[in-house]
Order: sequence, then C-alpha cells, then structure tokens
Amino acid sequence: MTTTTELETLLAAHEDDVFSPDTLAALDARDEFPGDAVRVLDEAGLPSHYVLAPDGDVSETVRLLRTVARRDLTVAVAHGKTFLGTAPVWVAGTPAQVARLAERVRRGEAVCWGLTERDHGADLLAGELAAVAEPGGAATDGGWRLTGEKWLINNATRATLACVLARTDPAGGGRGFSLFVVDRAGLPEGAWRDLPKVRTHGIRGADISGFTLEGAPVGADALVGAEGDGIAVVLKALQLTRIACTALSLGAADHALLLAREFAVGRELYGRRLAEVPHVRRILGRAAAAALTAEAVSALSARSVHTLPGELSVISAITKAYVPTLTQETLGSLGELLGVRGFLTSPPGVGFAKLERDHRICAIFDGSTVVNRTALLSQLPRLTRKLTRRRTDNEGLRAAADLTAPLPAFDRNRLSLLSLTGCSAVQALPELAERVQEEGPPGTGGLMDRLLTELASLERESADFLPVADGLPSTAFALAERYERAYAAAAVLLLWRENPALRTGRLGADGLWLRACLTVLLGEGDHDKAGDHANENDVLDALAAALLGTTDTQFTLWGGTA
Amino acid sequence: MTTATGLAPKRADELEHLLGALRDPANPTGASAVLAADERAETLAAGETLLDSYGLNAEFVPPELGGRLERADHLAEVMRALYRRDPALGLGYGASSLIAAVTLWTAGDERHTGHAAGLLLDGRRIAIAFHELAHGNDMAGTEFDANPAPDGGLRLSGRKEVVTNIARADAMVVLARTDPRPGPRSHSLVLVDRAGADPARLTDLPRFTTVGMRGVQLGGLCFDELPVSASALLGPVGSGLETALKALQITRTVLPAMTTGILDTGLRIAVDHLTRRRLYGGPATAIPHVRSVLAGVFADLLRAEALGAVGARALHLAPGAASVYASAVKFEVSRLLLEAMDRLAELLGAHFYLREGPTALFQKLLRDLAPVGFGHIARAACQMSLLPQLPLLARRTWDRPGTEAPGDLFALDRALPPLRYDRLALHAAGRDPVVGSLHALTDTTWAPDHADLRTAVLADHAELTELAAVCGQLSPVDLGIDARPEHYDLVTRYVRLLSRTACVQVWRHAAPAGFLADPAWVRAALHRSTPGSHRPGPLPAPVEDRLYAELADRHTSGRSFGLTGRPLAAFGPRAL
Repeated sequence: MTTTTELETLLAAHEDDVFSPDTLAALDARDEFPGDAVRVLDEAGLPSHYVLAPDGDVSETVRLLRTVARRDLTVAVAHGKTFLGTAPVWVAGTPAQVARLAERVRRGEAVCWGLTERDHGADLLAGELAAVAEPGGAATDGGWRLTGEKWLINNATRATLACVLARTDPAGGGRGFSLFVVDRAGLPEGAWRDLPKVRTHGIRGADISGFTLEGAPVGADALVGAEGDGIAVVLKALQLTRIACTALSLGAADHALLLAREFAVGRELYGRRLAEVPHVRRILGRAAAAALTAEAVSALSARSVHTLPGELSVISAITKAYVPTLTQETLGSLGELLGVRGFLTSPPGVGFAKLERDHRICAIFDGSTVVNRTALLSQLPRLTRKLTRRRTDNEGLRAAADLTAPLPAFDRNRLSLLSLTGCSAVQALPELAERVQEEGPPGTGGLMDRLLTELASLERESADFLPVADGLPSTAFALAERYERAYAAAAVLLLWRENPALRTGRLGADGLWLRACLTVLLGEGDHDKAGDHANENDVLDALAAALLGTTDTQFTLWGGTA
Repeated sequence: MTTATGLAPKRADELEHLLGALRDPANPTGASAVLAADERAETLAAGETLLDSYGLNAEFVPPELGGRLERADHLAEVMRALYRRDPALGLGYGASSLIAAVTLWTAGDERHTGHAAGLLLDGRRIAIAFHELAHGNDMAGTEFDANPAPDGGLRLSGRKEVVTNIARADAMVVLARTDPRPGPRSHSLVLVDRAGADPARLTDLPRFTTVGMRGVQLGGLCFDELPVSASALLGPVGSGLETALKALQITRTVLPAMTTGILDTGLRIAVDHLTRRRLYGGPATAIPHVRSVLAGVFADLLRAEALGAVGARALHLAPGAASVYASAVKFEVSRLLLEAMDRLAELLGAHFYLREGPTALFQKLLRDLAPVGFGHIARAACQMSLLPQLPLLARRTWDRPGTEAPGDLFALDRALPPLRYDRLALHAAGRDPVVGSLHALTDTTWAPDHADLRTAVLADHAELTELAAVCGQLSPVDLGIDARPEHYDLVTRYVRLLSRTACVQVWRHAAPAGFLADPAWVRAALHRSTPGSHRPGPLPAPVEDRLYAELADRHTSGRSFGLTGRPLAAFGPRAL
C-alpha cells in the first residue's frame, strides 16, 4: 500500500530516470512498453489499491492514479488496467476467488479484461467467443472450454490473468453470457495465442493487442458469478471502472495546465508576458474552471461508490461521458494556446503533443461517450420523475460530498443495474441552488437563477423524452449532455456547501472557484446583459490569476485551500 | 482579361488522376505509402517526383510569368487533391513555396520575380524564413538583423527556426530587422539565394520534429554575417512588415481553404467504416445519431468551403478588404475543421485510434490538421488583427446600406479578374462588401418556400445593427493586445455573421439545379452556426435527410464532399 504523498515522493525521485519525460517520450516513439516505470509502481504497492474488497477506497485509487497520469498517461493506462480487469471479481466473485485474485494482484500480476471483439466493439451482446461446458458433468463441476477471439485488449499479451466475457448460450441475449477468469499459466500449449500488438495513435507504448483461445480449458471455479450473469456483472463492474478512469483525465489536465502556465509566464509577445494578456488569461481561466469542475465530479462520483452504490448505474455513465469529453476540449484550447510548442516533439516542444494523443483514448475505452450517454438516456424517464419529486438519498449524498467524512466499505450487494432512487445529486440541485442563493457567497445570485431556469427547462424537455428501441435521435444526446452538466453543477454546489475548507483560501474566498465553475458550466455570453458578460470575464480572470500564482504541480480544489 | 470559368479547373482532375487510387496498396502515392512515409517522418518521395512532373509549382506563379496562378479559388481546389491524401505533401511540397512566392509577387522587382518564377517553374523550392521561436506570431519582434555593409550591401545575422524546407531550398525570403528601433518600418524582406551564398556563413540547425505533418522538413538556419547585395531587398528598406502583412492575406485565405481536403477524406473514411460496420443488428449508418453527426459534419465542410471560396474570390474582386477576410477565413475555417474532425473521431471510436487497418489514415489526418489552428498565423492573432478594424467597419459598412458586393463575388463558377497584388491593403478602411450585402438581402424578394431563410437573414441583419452600435463606439485604443476578452467576442460575432452571409449568398448565386442551389445545405449551415456556447442541436429532420442522402450519393459515386462535388475518379466507387 502507498499513500498519495509517498507515491508523489517516489515518482519525483524517478523524474530523472524511468519517469523522465524524455525516457517516456523515447519509448512512445518506438511503440515500446514502459516496463521500468510500471515496475516502480508495482514495487510501490500501487496494485494493492486495485483490490476493492473488502476495504478499498476508490477515491484514494483515483488520487493515486492521477499522480501517475499527470506524469505519463501511457504508464497510468498500462498499470491501472488491472483495476478494470479485476473489478468483475470484486463485484461478483466468491470469497475464495476474491482472496486468490487479491493475492496475485498484490504481487504485481497484470490482469486484462477481455470484453471487445474485432467486429463488434461496444456491442457486447454480439460477442462470439464461446464457452462450452465440459461434457460428462454439470457445468459447475466439469469446467469449461473457451474458444474465440478478443481484440483491442489492453495488456492482453502481458497479463497473466484475463477476465473474459464468453457466450454460454448460443442464442445469446442478456442472459447468454458468462465471465471467466482465465489463468494463462494453467493452459495447455496452444490454447492461448497472443494477437500482435496493434499500433495506436496515442498510448503507443501500451500493450494493446488481443488473444485467441482455442478450446482453452478452465475449471468450474473460473466462472465469476452464475452462468448467464456475465453481462450483468460486466455492467456492474463498469460502474466502478468508469469512475476510476477519471483519474486519467484529471492527470492529463494537471499536466496540460502546468505546461500552459509555464508557457504563459515565460513567454513574451507584443511586448507583454502572455500571462498578462487578458484574452490569454480568459483561456487559462476557462481551462482552470473546467479542470476544477472535472475534479469535483470525479471526487463526488468516486465517493459515491461507497455511499450511493445503488445510483452508480447513472452516476458512472454521467461521469464517464462528462469528464473525458470536457477534458479533451480543455486540452484543445490549451494546445491552441501553446501553438508550435504544443506541436513540436523536439525542443522546445513541451511534451504536450504526447499527452493530447494519449488522452484521446479516455473518451473511447471502457464505454465511449456515446455508449455512456445511451446508458444514461435509458434511465432518463425515471430520472425525470425523480427530479420532479425532488426526493434524494440525503445521507448518502452528504457523506459523498463531505470530503472529511469517513467512507463506509464498498457494499457490492447494493449495486444495481437500474437506479431506483434516480440521481440524488441532480434531484438535490433545486434545493442546493436555493440555499446558495440565500447563503451566498455574493455574486452567485444571477448564476443560481440561470441554473434553476436551465434545470426547469431540462426537466420539461426530458418529460417528453421516450427511449426508442431502434436508436436514439441526436436530440436525445443533447438532453444527456444537459443532464451531465446538471450533475456537474450539483457536484460543485455540494462540495461547496459540505466542505468549509473549500470556502477559504485563494480559491475559496468569495466563492471564486464556485463562481468560475458555474460560469463555464452555464455557458458564457448566453444571455443579453453585457454587464454580466464582463463579470464572467472578471471571474475567469481571477481564477487565471490563481492558476498563474500557484507553484504546485497540480491545480486542485484541495490545493487552493492552503 | 479574365480567368477561366467553372468551380474547378480541369487540371485539378488531372492531378487527381495522376495521384491514383488512394486505397490501392500498390499505389506509390496511395494511403499505404503515405502512412509508411509518415511513420518514418519522411516526405513522400514518390509524391514529390509526381508533383515535379505535374509541375505543381506553376500553380504558384502568375500567368504573366509563365505559371498557372490565375484564380485563388482554383488554386485551393487543385491543392485540395494533395490535402485529401497527404497534407504533409501539400504543405511540404507546395504551400511553403507558395507563401514565399506571394511575397515576391507583391514586393519583388522584375529581376526578383523573374528569378523566383524561374526557380519555381524549374521545380525548385523557395523557403519563407520569417519564424523565430522567441517571437512566434509577433513579426514585429523579429530580431534577425540585416546591417548595412561598407560595400553598400547587407550583412545578415541571426537565427530562423522551424522553417519548412530551409535546408533544401534554393532560395529563401527572409524577414530581417533593418532598424533597431521598434515600430512598423523597422524590418525588410530579403531574397537570399542559398545556392550562391557563402556556406561558411550559414549553419543548418537540427531538424525539428512534430507530432503531425511529420513528413514536412522543418529546419532552422543560423546566419553569421552573411553578405548579400542591396539588390536582394524586396521593396524599399523598412517595408518588410507591410509587404508581409499584405502578401500573406493571400495565403491566410487559401491555406485554410485547401486544408478542407483533410475533412473531405476524414468524412469519407468515417462513412466508409460506418457503412461497413454492423452494430446492434444493422449497419452503423442506420443509427440515427450516426447519421446526424455525419450530416452535420458534411454541412460544416460545405460552410467552411463556402467561406473559403468567398474569401478567395474577394482577393480578386475586393482586394482592399482582404485584410479582414483573410483573418476571418483563417479564424473560422480552422475552427470548423478542427471541431468537425473531432466529431468524426468520436464516431469512429476505437477505429480512429488505430494506426493500421482501413481507417489508419484518419489519425494521420487528425495530427496533420492541428497546425491549421496555429500555423502561419494563430487564431488568436487573427482576432487581434481584426479587432482594430471593427469600429470603422461598423461606421462605414454595417450601420448603413451602400457597400455593395461586386457582382461575381458569390457566383463561384464565374471568371475572375487577375489578382492585383498592388491592391492589397493593410486595412479595409471600413469597406466590407460581403457583410455589406446583408442590407440589400433584407429588401430583396424571397420565394414563399424560403420564408425561414428570410427570417434568418432578417435576424442576422438585426444582429449586425446591434454589433455596429457596439463596435461603432469602440476606440481603437481599446483594441490592442490588452483588449478585454469581451471585445474579442465581438470579432467572433462578426465572423459568424460574415460566414452566414457568405453561405446565403453562395446559395442565392448558385447555378440552378445544382446541389448548391438546394436550400437544404444553407439551412444546415445557418442552423449549425446558431449562436450559443454549447453546440447547436441536431438539424431539422428534412434538412438532415436531404443532406444525408446527398452525402451517401456522393460517397457511392465517388465524388468529393466539398462545394464542387467533383468526381474523384481516383477514389473509385465505394469498394475497398
């Protein structure tokens, strides 16, 4: 086990060798796996944090992976994958399976997740890799043979264990698939064949490959959950992994903001430091506000794994759709600011190009943005009804939002494919906004008015929405985006209200971060008052000043309270 | 004298034919070869040989000097053939020499232009050595020195960095400081003949490497008191910045315009892939959201090309206003292309991320596209250059009728008068014939079927009136580098109106019966440019259906997706 501080210290000590940007860039150029960096993380005990049962803390896992990701996303993706590969076992494994896997993960073994296939991508129900029960006995006794191919699998070649989704009913369907933990070492010669590494746009060093199973025999104890549970277990595991993935985006934003800050402070153009040019400061202020908003969403969602497990089907979809998309947009604007320095891979290039390429995978893997929005929309009718009733799981919500509250152990039995209580954070939003309107901070009244107006309009338009079987129209995706923004606004307001520490210091005084995040969330200039527009720019300018004034390597809500 | 008519010149088809089938793995200028060269960070040698034999450089030379640079819009259309398959070839072989060339046609005397035309027609390269890392877009910050020598000539000293082809150019146009004082008259342009220069006084810097445009040979050169004769100066001493700012209006217009070729192919790869791919029991193109995104991107490509075409034609017909249009085209077209490629990447999902297989070219195109946002001039610098012009534009054009567009500005198939480099100006003096045409549009008659378009035009006119009221009050003093961000937003508002007006006018002036005369695309263009900080919603269903049908038809029949809808015989019908 390690703490964020310990890991930070360790990685800093390796900044001139295995974690040096030059070393990692050179590996990337050669499409080579960052094995030395991964080994350092293994030795530091990071894999222990991928073991969720019985006492893991997902928010801590996110903080740790973020520390890695802000240095190198490829390393974080390559290492963190084991959390994805093991999540199904934490969700549905027997005590013996959990214990066995936990031990091997702690030893640093890589576990991959064999979900996708060449011709089917996100369409898991079309999967062809099949598991057939061994003849001469009930499936539970005699074991299984797996045959088929999984492709575009992270760590497929390096992993010693694979968690594989297989068709167990030739007719397929929601109950036609099961999950198996396949131990490569236990297979006869030829039963497992690695597929060649696939060359990729970013995370070039990562082991993105696949495997073919040819009658691979596994014992009855390889089955995770019951036969036919595969899809349900995958969907529940994704509720955890989709939230954990935000660590990658937060780390990417940390890295990019640091590069942009150094550039703006050091660069002189037209007789000014860029850091003093109002237009540049607005770009920085927007990027900083987006990064803090992403951080708030990630923090609330990660803590909700422990306090609102029944709502994760909604929360995880929102979080995975929102955070990578917002972060990619932020990287786009910072890349434009960096100009040729963000494009060069030789000096004076600053390493931005690699992180931008790497980060683009975040909106794709573990369920793309469209897949997550579709998942969210499937529950929108219920969410709309719940929103109208304003009912919330207040206790769970407050425990998620109060960053000092101890987290209860993760309870997998409370996971659900549909959230019966909706999304408490969004349902609490009207009341939260009214409270903030009453209590201040000053300068938020107009923002709260607009927030409430937008929420009312979202509620109205969502009421007309009906999920359809033959594909959702684009108008629906626009609703999903708005619902995500409502969740983000709720995350911001909740953290503000539940954490006195976030109401002080450079970011907290006068509600600076709160106002900046909401300004960007609500959309600047989407109203007629020129005076408000000037105020918006002033808020973003002040946040830019905070960003430019910090010397930390991370720009975070918790850092701003010092 | 006027130029050829038609949306595209015949030679664009010839070049396309020479380049051959993009998907043929045996084609030395096909996608496989292009990708392999990119992986090695090399210029596509077979492509350069082919362009030598086609004589691409003649596209950059005015007709009176023996070249084919008749029409700026045709130039962009010819160059799109390269940007559709290898933007690194487009920039590395073509566009960088073009940038140098326009400075010569603008400020060179007969000897300069004769020499430069000779070099280019002979297949040689001319580099444009403006960039210094320390100063970026701030050309006035240029430190590179040209000092007078006792023999009446000049001595050049300093470094030029991240310059395309500088190591292998026969000549280069250098921006050099000829006066130590700050100000707009302190720099001059010098034509340096590299072949004849003393090699002991020139040191090549190591090649710069980049994430995209990897085949482009970016270098740098250190000058140590290199002697050049006074006759190497282009124009009078001190005229360098002014010449550059005028001449580069041409390239800042046509480079983004030709870059639309990237989106054209990006869209084709996406349609190809999604047509083949089966998801949830049917082809991916049957998914409503997929169709919406594809139709939206198609509309964005059309409006990018419409603005680019109007900008290019304005170089001929309203050269005095090109200072405004060049910055606007660069600012808006680059944004449209970057956003549209991101939308396609989302649709392609994991297949956008692969450097192998049938979609591999997409990721290269995405990487190659990035410089459209910051290269040559950054988008923010475009805003900065437009800002001080707003008050006069408001007072002289926007708030009153009277500035009429020349008749053929929007009729894309009409001939154009020759380019007049001497008519380019630093400022438009408030003349803006494109947006000025909005006044008359409000009075014109509209078919009942087009009532919605009339409503949109009236709303734009009202917005223009409001914008004029705000901008008319501004003082240029407020509009320098320290301008408030709200003022930058005025530029964005203006460019939006400009772009919308360009689309409406192109539609109104389109040859009847063609797709450009169909109101569907202009409805889509207007819908996609609705103001607001979040993306506009999907297109109205009938508009989307019409656009998607056209897109699918062009895909099946192997035609380009841009304004011209030309048969790309070399792409062949859909089959891979």
